[in-house]
Amino acid sequence: MTNNGFQHGSVAGMRIHVLPTKAFKTFAISLYAGVPLKEDTVTPTALVPFVLRRGTASYPETTQFREQLEELYGAGFGFDVYKRGDYQIVQFRMDTINDSFVQSKESLLGESFAFLGEVLTKPALENGTFRPSYVATERETVRKKLEAIVNDKIRYAAERCIEEMCRNEPYRLHPLGQRADLDGITPESLYKSYNSWLDGAILDLYVVGDTTPEEIEKLVKRHFGRSDAAVAAYSSNFKPVSVSEVRTIEEKLDVSQGKLNMGLRTSITYKDDTYASALMYNGILGGYPHSKLFVNVREKESLAYYASSRYDGHKGIGTIQSGIEIQNYSKAVDIIRQQLDELKRGNISDLELNQTKAMIRNLLSEIQDSAFELISFDFNRQFSGKDRSAQELLTQVEQIGSGDVKAAAESFQLDTIYFLTGQKEE
Amino acid sequence: MEQLRYDKLQETLYHEVMDNGLQVYVLPKPGFRKTYATFATKYGSVDNHFRVAGGEETTVPDGIAHFLEHKMFEEPEGDIFATFASNGASANAFTSFDQTVYLFSATENIETNLSTLVDFVQRPYFTDENVEKEKGIIGQEINMYADNPDWRVYFGLIEAMYDKHPVHIDIAGTIESIATITKETLYTCYNSFYHPSNMLLFVVGGVEPEKVFELIRSNQAGKSYDKQGDIERIFEKEPEQVATKRKESKLAVSMPKCLFGFKEKELGLTGEAAVRRDLTTKLMLDLLLGSSTALYQKLYDEELISDSFGHEFNSSPQYAFSAIGGDTKDPDLLLKRIKEEIEPLLQSGFAEKDFERARKKKIGGYLRMLNSPENIAHEFTRYQFRGGDLFEVLPLYESITLDEVNARLRSHVDWEQLAVSLVVSP
Repeated sequence: MTNNGFQHGSVAGMRIHVLPTKAFKTFAISLYAGVPLKEDTVTPTALVPFVLRRGTASYPETTQFREQLEELYGAGFGFDVYKRGDYQIVQFRMDTINDSFVQSKESLLGESFAFLGEVLTKPALENGTFRPSYVATERETVRKKLEAIVNDKIRYAAERCIEEMCRNEPYRLHPLGQRADLDGITPESLYKSYNSWLDGAILDLYVVGDTTPEEIEKLVKRHFGRSDAAVAAYSSNFKPVSVSEVRTIEEKLDVSQGKLNMGLRTSITYKDDTYASALMYNGILGGYPHSKLFVNVREKESLAYYASSRYDGHKGIGTIQSGIEIQNYSKAVDIIRQQLDELKRGNISDLELNQTKAMIRNLLSEIQDSAFELISFDFNRQFSGKDRSAQELLTQVEQIGSGDVKAAAESFQLDTIYFLTGQKEE
Repeated sequence: MEQLRYDKLQETLYHEVMDNGLQVYVLPKPGFRKTYATFATKYGSVDNHFRVAGGEETTVPDGIAHFLEHKMFEEPEGDIFATFASNGASANAFTSFDQTVYLFSATENIETNLSTLVDFVQRPYFTDENVEKEKGIIGQEINMYADNPDWRVYFGLIEAMYDKHPVHIDIAGTIESIATITKETLYTCYNSFYHPSNMLLFVVGGVEPEKVFELIRSNQAGKSYDKQGDIERIFEKEPEQVATKRKESKLAVSMPKCLFGFKEKELGLTGEAAVRRDLTTKLMLDLLLGSSTALYQKLYDEELISDSFGHEFNSSPQYAFSAIGGDTKDPDLLLKRIKEEIEPLLQSGFAEKDFERARKKKIGGYLRMLNSPENIAHEFTRYQFRGGDLFEVLPLYESITLDEVNARLRSHVDWEQLAVSLVVSP
């Protein structure tokens, strides 16, 4: 990998990425653990970090665990479980203030590593397995989270659209798993799942802050207690999906506003040289307030408060989302499809090109100012295996013309239209 | 140009008041690529009844401050988003109870973008036609919030607590109230509250302070403003007790949402006293209900609360209240259990070691917040509008005593002042 500020190495079966800098008041630490997204492992894998955050060997009670974080000047600690491409990623984050701002006896960076190392490798155990009470409560927590998705109608509609569009792929699965599978999980089965997850996961550890790769390697060796196993890497088995016809799904729920979502397929992914064109396509379509969707759906027709698009280069899909008056469904669909057609025909002005380039330039430059953004950008490179710095991507974006965007537009095919509508009959 | 040094935080702030009364602050962040600027007026949803010195007493429709925010983005030559996009800036705005903030973030063309920001906010352009068009868009924004159970439970709590004070009116107003907004009422509000002497510009990032001041000085010198007297904000007397003990809304949710809080009786605080009371109250709430407390853990293990359980304290000179809660399967049992658990603490007060740990956590959280230019700009402005100083928070935290926190606990947690808001499935 070329130098993007990060220094890369590996120790204890993990890839280590360190960016020494004095720009921030904290040490930002991120640990990514990725496994292939699969129906039979998605639920236990999702449940594991919930149980890990209940206690470790040194802090077996949850209150002790959380008190220790407070002792570290309220170190930020959290985790996320999400999908990237056809992988399920568990990401742990810590954000610990640099000792120079406070009077601290111990090194806060060292203490944070001791903490995170235990979270991952030395959980609180009872009779050689996970504590039954932790497993039982966290199983309920995950169940409640899955059930609560429907509360946020915007998110619910977005997830349902993806679920419908990818109904024949693992990507249909929710990153938190399937409710039905929770019941069968026992402390013993979960502990087994945890061990095989930890053995099989691809691990990337990031640190951004006033430190050195040597210091981090020492801390990892001391606190992660893992053997120097071979370091695994992500692999992609992306196959473009071609769309034969557009599927329309309508679902009724008790809503005041209809939520209109669309899913598109593209053959362009993060590692392709045409990725920059796809980014431009999305930017012109609906990434910004100057984009076609915002201008036409919201500003010209007053149909919506939000109307935007997103592009997921790891999965090769695009999404469109808008909240509309229920009776305006057909009108909104027509206007959105017109925008897709405009792009396919190459009706793209120089102004749109230049504004979108300027916005992407801004986005890529801003990454430098946030430790976690820097980490996430580099992780995308590790994940896709595409060695392309933000600067290189920017140079490619600058060279895009309307012909390139038109070519990208041809690769985006509308696949699914999902509409969440009210229960009252019209 | 005045220079304010905060050695402990390793920050230097620059300040100048323009001839027309505009407050300008610049916080250089050497090494940062991004510049973030906010241009704020001390004018929000609660300011619906007022008199400018020498003028008439005026009452305006609910939701007009937010409506005005939307309309400011329209210029005779089109949408200002397009101008920002051409210069690579990402722009936005938001309206709260007591302020309206316009902002951009950019890594290039900083001077042009700063001029655009200041100029568009100082150049209202309202027509009958563009005002009517906006009603459709804001109508959809109102509908979007109507479907959002978190928003509904939050506003339900404020409605339960406040009878007369306009804090209980939804920031966006209602479909009916915004229907009565005209370009004339918008100009009335604009002319009253967007005078430079009621506004604050904050610029943070990779900028040279003197250059920014020069730019703003000459920009403001080119515009003429008559001196404006004080703005008198008129509030009907709000009873001390809550409007209603309990308020329930119906919306499809996976589990009831329950938010409760205490309506503060002691009002009228400004400046450092207000900031100190805010910090002390938040520290107290964290000691009482934070995720490391025994109370939290018990309720979590009893499956009465989930990760959504949280607390906040919101205050101004005329209103102040706490908001506590989250999703729960049994709101009544939750409230009963909380009462039972809090009672002994009201007697005993908090332990010294818990207090010290919670204080550490707050200090760490404050320092971590200072990594984010966005948070610095928003928080600094909020503090200034109340006569406080964000960069003096560290010594305040250090000087807060356990006795003070215990006294705060006993005065704030007054069951007579309790109100409860629920969102349950129909």
